[in-house]
Amino acid sequence: MARVSIMETDAGSPGRSSSPTPQEALAALAEAERVQASTTALSATPWPLWFTTVLTVYLAALPVVYGGVVAEESWLLPHEAWWVVLMVMIAAFMASFAYAARSWRQRTGVALRLDVLPKRATVPLVIGAPVLVVGSAWAFRFTGQAGWLVAASVVGAAVSVGFHLAFVRLHGRRTPARPA
Amino acid sequence: MTTRQSADPAAGGFDNLVHAPNRLRICALLDTAGEAEFGVVQEELGLSASVLSKHAGALIDAGYVEQRKAVRNTRQRVWLRLTPRGREAYHGHLAALRVITGQ
Repeated sequence: MARVSIMETDAGSPGRSSSPTPQEALAALAEAERVQASTTALSATPWPLWFTTVLTVYLAALPVVYGGVVAEESWLLPHEAWWVVLMVMIAAFMASFAYAARSWRQRTGVALRLDVLPKRATVPLVIGAPVLVVGSAWAFRFTGQAGWLVAASVVGAAVSVGFHLAFVRLHGRRTPARPA
Repeated sequence: MTTRQSADPAAGGFDNLVHAPNRLRICALLDTAGEAEFGVVQEELGLSASVLSKHAGALIDAGYVEQRKAVRNTRQRVWLRLTPRGREAYHGHLAALRVITGQ
């Protein structure tokens, strides 16, 4: 703590503009990186289990419901019924998300960020999820094989569980960024 | 809102205000978190409320940090976030530190 106090006084002195030594600069960079790592882990606090379940069910159901909407002929339900199910499902999910996000912010005390995980994980998801939902539904429409929808449902549910576990793992590394 | 960059050309975007250890840590936390509640910043960095208030006040005065007040459970909470100017100063300062270390 003594080192911190001395640096604090020096760096904060009005009119003084000396640059630090390479060692001091290295220590400052290391400290900033430590705080960043700890804060990233805090931002990776996983969703509560109830919302993870809602998200998994939503991602599993979406390909099937959208498949029913775009089916060439009525499949299991009339088209209008599939539309109603789709709209209700999206509205319910959005309401759940808004509530869960608000609770999450209050619990963690930090802003909700969607870029906590590395881009190599999130970019394929952002591109792949719509392709999965739309692609499987149209594949179903052209082939009549419901297996496309089932496969997309399984992939959607697996992705949801996988991301939840990734957040649990990242959050588990957390240690408060207090001074060493 | 004065410019606090060092006159030393070798230091580039070196910022004396940001360089103070606790302020550098506050900036690092806010840059990563986006926005954080005062109590969380205090707990994460192990600072007393008065020390955090002092440093946050200095950053607010410089236009580097802005605060937002929100009520939760009938208690008012203060949320802190870096302004675009503060983010620029913080990243410029990190870049200057890297120059100093030869990275």
